[in-house]
Amino acid sequence: MMLNTGFVTLVKREIVRFTCVFTQTIFPPVMSSFLYIFIFGFSLGGRIETVQGVPYLTFLIPGLMMMYVIEGSYANTSSSLFISRWANNIEEMLVTPLSYLEMVTAILIGGVARSVVVTSGVYLVSLCFVQTFPVHPAWTIFFIIFVSLTFSAVGMIMALFAEEFEHLSLMTTFVITPLVFLGGVFHSVAMVPEALRWITHFNPMFYMVNGLRYGMLGRSDVPLGQSAAVVLVLFAMLMSVTVYLFHIGFKLRK
Amino acid sequence: MPAIQIKNLTKFYRNQFKALADLQLTVEPGQFFGFLGPNGAGKTTTIGVITGLANFQSGDVKVFGKDVRKDYRETRAMIGLVPQEFNFDPFLSAEQILTYEAGYFGIPYREGKKRAEEWLKFFDLWSKRKDGYKRLSGGMKRRLLIARALMHDPKILILDEPTAGVDLELRYQLWSFLKDLNSKGKTIFLTTHYIEEAEKLCTHAAIVHQGRVVAQDSVDKLIHGLHAEFVDLDLKTAVYEFPKQVGDVQVVLTNGGRGLSFQEKPGIVNKVLHILHEKGIEIEKVGVRRPTLEDAFLTLTAKKGAAGSDA
Repeated sequence: MMLNTGFVTLVKREIVRFTCVFTQTIFPPVMSSFLYIFIFGFSLGGRIETVQGVPYLTFLIPGLMMMYVIEGSYANTSSSLFISRWANNIEEMLVTPLSYLEMVTAILIGGVARSVVVTSGVYLVSLCFVQTFPVHPAWTIFFIIFVSLTFSAVGMIMALFAEEFEHLSLMTTFVITPLVFLGGVFHSVAMVPEALRWITHFNPMFYMVNGLRYGMLGRSDVPLGQSAAVVLVLFAMLMSVTVYLFHIGFKLRK
Repeated sequence: MPAIQIKNLTKFYRNQFKALADLQLTVEPGQFFGFLGPNGAGKTTTIGVITGLANFQSGDVKVFGKDVRKDYRETRAMIGLVPQEFNFDPFLSAEQILTYEAGYFGIPYREGKKRAEEWLKFFDLWSKRKDGYKRLSGGMKRRLLIARALMHDPKILILDEPTAGVDLELRYQLWSFLKDLNSKGKTIFLTTHYIEEAEKLCTHAAIVHQGRVVAQDSVDKLIHGLHAEFVDLDLKTAVYEFPKQVGDVQVVLTNGGRGLSFQEKPGIVNKVLHILHEKGIEIEKVGVRRPTLEDAFLTLTAKKGAAGSDA
């Protein structure tokens, strides 16, 4: 009972944190997704016939959704944990009887919650332009949940290593955003030169974007098994690292 | 079984600074224990080790027989911590800070809300329950810290400088509250800069200096262990330089150099007066008094300090 109540309370706290600043955490991505869909999909996309056998606008939606899954989960846990370290209220959590696994899992679930809320918003916006319903709902949910867990873990690790707020945004600017864009949010790998196509296979975001695209449209540049395996292996590795860092008190305990 | 038992605790920081050196400490259940020492002596670090906020390299630290590393969930459930600095969650209101704290410790929401209401009313914070902590005054924040630490009714309450920066009225209120809490059986572990506070509240005390406990006993025994009266000299003009030790007695400058205080021993008064005469400083008033905890503190830390510098 004690275990469950403590864990649920921390999950609740993580959700309250991002919902009480919803104008910064939920509205901006939904707004920018509207612009992406309108400009790239609706206006420019009309000039492209089809990609992977579907209209460009339809092709674009899963990619955009995955982009916000990744950015939302990373932003949530990195800012939550870094602010807690910075304001020192991390101590509030560290002196409780919660296990390190519970602490990490609760914060990760906060990241998933924000991703799901934001991605649902993006999907609802997309319905104004094109009615796309998931072909494989279970795979759609699988990729949204596990990719957001993975990037929630990345956010937590960055929040532990970061010394200043700007270190968090450096990761977004120079790693996450380029890899997501190059991973095929706006294009199919078949549309790029051969050399770049080969390199793209080393980009984990490529598997994530295509995994969700398979769930939503039943189409992908890469076999489903490969996408699922990449996501699961990355998640297991990053989750283990995060729990280990909490266990040794890395930048948490003096 | 001791409430807190620390054996051979050693801690280094990354810069190799030895914060705690083979520290030994025992706190029995029901004691009001004062943990006293100058700045940087290792008080907050020791609290960090007990509560899980600081790592350590070697030693055994147990809370009611449970190891703080191996059984960390059990030990943390038994402790309520009032830290020196405000460390509230910036996203929560005063009431939420308490209910969430209760939740982290496994207390169901309804019970937590009930307890929060009781403590908020008790500490006169009820009207501020919807406000974030930043909108509270310093005294209110201090009371909220104590309420938060008590939400799960811990066996041990640890307070790190709880009355630092608190006005006199609130300080007396907190003293009375803590004494009452201790009389009901709660073990209290307190660090403070105010020796008067420790003397008024604590049944037992340890004096820590340079990461070691240099004395630990009941407060009465620590005071009576000095076996002597103390001489206080009020000076007409301030003395800025005076030997810290005359013979084998520590001399402490008080009142910004306008006073001297030392243990009375044969021949020492004459020597001190001689030094003052050489400096051309006249005495306004001479007083003799029984020793206080502050004398014990100053004598013990000065002795160890001198021993440390000699080495």
